[in-house]
Amino acid sequence: MTLTRPPATTPAPAPLVRLRSRLTAPLLYVVSFAVALGLATALVTLAGHSMGDALLALYQGSLEGGASIGQTIDETTPLLIVAIGAIVCARAGIFNIGQEGQLIIGAMAGAAIGLFVPGPGWLVGFLALLGATLAGAVWAGIPAVLHYWRGVDVVISTMLMIFVAMQVVSFAVNRDYLLQETAVKGQILSPQSNLLPEGVRLPRLGEYPDFNLGTGFFIALAITGVVAYLLRYSRWGFRLRMLGMNPVAARRAGVSAAALGGGALLLSGGAAGLAGGVMLTGSVYRIQAGFADNVGWEGLLVALVARNHPLVAIPVALFFGMLRAGGGFLASTGVPRYLVSVVTALLVLAAVFPAAYAELRKRRRPAAVEA
Amino acid sequence: MPPSTEQSRPAGTAVNGTAVPSVELSHITKRFGSVLACDDVCLSVNPGEIHGLLGQNGAGKSTLMKILTGLVTPDHGEIHMAGSRVSVNDPLAAAGLGIAMVHQHFSLVGRMKVWENVTLGERGRVDRDQARRLVKEVGERYGLVVDPDAHVENLSTGERQRVELIKCLRRDPGLLILDEPTSVLTLAESRELFSVLRRATTDEHKTVILISHKLDEILHATDRVTIMRGGAVVARRDTAGTDVRELAREMVGRELSKWTAASAVGAMDALIVGEQTAAEGEVLLRLTDVHATARDGRPLLRGLSLQVRAGEILGIAGVEGNGQAALGDLLSSLLDVDSGTVEVCGSAVNAGKPGAMHRAGVGVVPEDRHGSGCVLDMSVAENLVLADLGEVASGMFVSPRKLRERAARLIDEFDISVPSPDTPMRLLSGGNQQKVVLARELAARPKVLVVAQPTRGLDVGAIEYMTERIYRAAQDGIAVLLISTELEEILTLAHRVAVIHRGAVVGEMKRADVDLERLGMMMGGQIA
Repeated sequence: MTLTRPPATTPAPAPLVRLRSRLTAPLLYVVSFAVALGLATALVTLAGHSMGDALLALYQGSLEGGASIGQTIDETTPLLIVAIGAIVCARAGIFNIGQEGQLIIGAMAGAAIGLFVPGPGWLVGFLALLGATLAGAVWAGIPAVLHYWRGVDVVISTMLMIFVAMQVVSFAVNRDYLLQETAVKGQILSPQSNLLPEGVRLPRLGEYPDFNLGTGFFIALAITGVVAYLLRYSRWGFRLRMLGMNPVAARRAGVSAAALGGGALLLSGGAAGLAGGVMLTGSVYRIQAGFADNVGWEGLLVALVARNHPLVAIPVALFFGMLRAGGGFLASTGVPRYLVSVVTALLVLAAVFPAAYAELRKRRRPAAVEA
Repeated sequence: MPPSTEQSRPAGTAVNGTAVPSVELSHITKRFGSVLACDDVCLSVNPGEIHGLLGQNGAGKSTLMKILTGLVTPDHGEIHMAGSRVSVNDPLAAAGLGIAMVHQHFSLVGRMKVWENVTLGERGRVDRDQARRLVKEVGERYGLVVDPDAHVENLSTGERQRVELIKCLRRDPGLLILDEPTSVLTLAESRELFSVLRRATTDEHKTVILISHKLDEILHATDRVTIMRGGAVVARRDTAGTDVRELAREMVGRELSKWTAASAVGAMDALIVGEQTAAEGEVLLRLTDVHATARDGRPLLRGLSLQVRAGEILGIAGVEGNGQAALGDLLSSLLDVDSGTVEVCGSAVNAGKPGAMHRAGVGVVPEDRHGSGCVLDMSVAENLVLADLGEVASGMFVSPRKLRERAARLIDEFDISVPSPDTPMRLLSGGNQQKVVLARELAARPKVLVVAQPTRGLDVGAIEYMTERIYRAAQDGIAVLLISTELEEILTLAHRVAVIHRGAVVGEMKRADVDLERLGMMMGGQIA
């Protein structure tokens, strides 16, 4: 009895539990979106606008016509790159939440290279992306060093580094001896850099007003594919997952947390920096104080909703990209910007909630089983 | 099944029987999901007796007692106390009915004094002098001597248990429940506890339920015993009219060999004395004057020295919390030494470096297998690899084919019951998880095998399995270090016994020379 009992009883409840969660997951999404839409409708109506019009505008801005779809994809690109970095880090059990800062520092480095390094356009463009990646990695490297050398909490240090990054960029774009744009006669100088030269920019496929998109999207997809494969099949991925799921067992098995975990933190910073570089060379072309525009934060949310699965991050990033593109268009139809923010934020919450809820349930379950 | 026939018999057949049982649980059923924790359980305890509740882990003892103390609500069944029906819906109700329980793990605040711990949870004004007096009074009544002004953190485990007992007894409960009370006590402390319990029943006419899985204890300390297996009551006996073999058979459901009876169910009498002698192999593991401290500066090991030879099992006996965990961590590269050396096969190892011990040839089945033994969220196949990634990789990549092949081979070789190699480790039973850990460590062909509390929380089948595997590992020429707080386990397996106390080995003896009294005193730190 003693030897045969375990297989007979223990695995039995597992498929049941899994089945139940599989059934409730879509339902949970439906309910949370319904609640979010209901709240959004109430708000928009109270503010004297029509929810129908707002939804239509969201649709038109993100999916109607080639240009809108291209816009959605352009918004998706940096979100996906940030999310992949966040996923690598989270899989190692480390929570980097400073992507917003790493992204803007990366973009600033890219802008400096793109504007001041001489050479053929394609090479400078490449160097700008490389520089952006390295700068993002360095920005994440500081919290990494602080953590493994002095035990400073990564969540706090990466977040505080965002504010430092914002100030650094703001300083740079306000100094004409640094990155601020060159004066044209009679023009008041804005806190922003010059536009990147044409040759340095990432090429675009297709023509406006038809379907067109930046080639950065393919960079993002390639990174996603490579990371998904490495996490699943490489020795590095195996050790990284082991570290994330049980650092004690990993240490016993010879994994150095400082090397592997610190490396993951650098990689995620590098990804955020690259995302900044791709935004810069792919669509914005200049650095400003408000350059990051929450892309870092939303990329982090993409990783959360995708539950740290790189391939799932692709559709999730597309959804968030749609919201960003549609939200921009909605604002241009006269709905106040703050309402647009509230509506998109509600939809983001609806998308995040089921994942967060499942995470909470998962944490509670082991305790319940042992009792 | 006996319950129905037993039920019709009047309760007064017991040794010191009275007409009305003090507590009677009838037809209690409790289901957790698909697991039937208690299946139509009837338990009747007479006033003034010590009633043993015997069963393996998972037999339903704890659930039954949780029902009686209001922590769990039963699906069916009734509770009667002194003849009248009561409902115990929450712990407060239980306390009101005079039911008190000493849990296996103490709930004491280390930084507070004894009298403060005793008054904890009291409402209203705290009267310090009265509380002190109370501690003394209760202590004198039951023979539980403890200084009311001592800080709990400075007390020994035995003294802490006295504080727990005083906490319960000062409320003057009619029914006292003790859950595995001796698991942290030395032999002498256990005996002392039982005499206190005897005094509480005979002098104060209290009723005691003693939960245990150790047969010796049940035989020595109880009047009657109820044996549970798989959520149901399988037998009721007067202790005087039964013996170890019968109890073991009822508890496990089959005949046990003498060999496993000793380690699995704690039947000390069944131990075969002085049979094991190991060949004098070369020393494979040598620790010399090792000092280590915890991160918060607490000393963990204070000058620990030991050596284990090839083919030998060295048992480390001791009361829990005397550095056993630190010793295990040290040999898992989770802890670095402050001074002293660790040598494996004659060459020194940099203990604190991640993976160093594993590379040096030290396999570890850790005390806390969920902590450092396995990764619960990874599959069984992956858990069979962990450190030995090189064996299933080609170049930079892990080969899924090699991974599965290796898993299939080990699952077969070590007789692990698992639906598929891809099953998450989390879904396995404790016994099978332990088998996975053992299989992985032995597959790495270690020179030294460290097994810490290898059978804790396992059922008898799994205990038999582990015991035999450890024995075979030593036969194969591995130097085995067995760290355990279960003396029976050590006496069953070890060729030599070393006693650990306050982070150092305080004494060592051959298995054949073991004298239980002396061993117990060493474990308590009385002699070195």
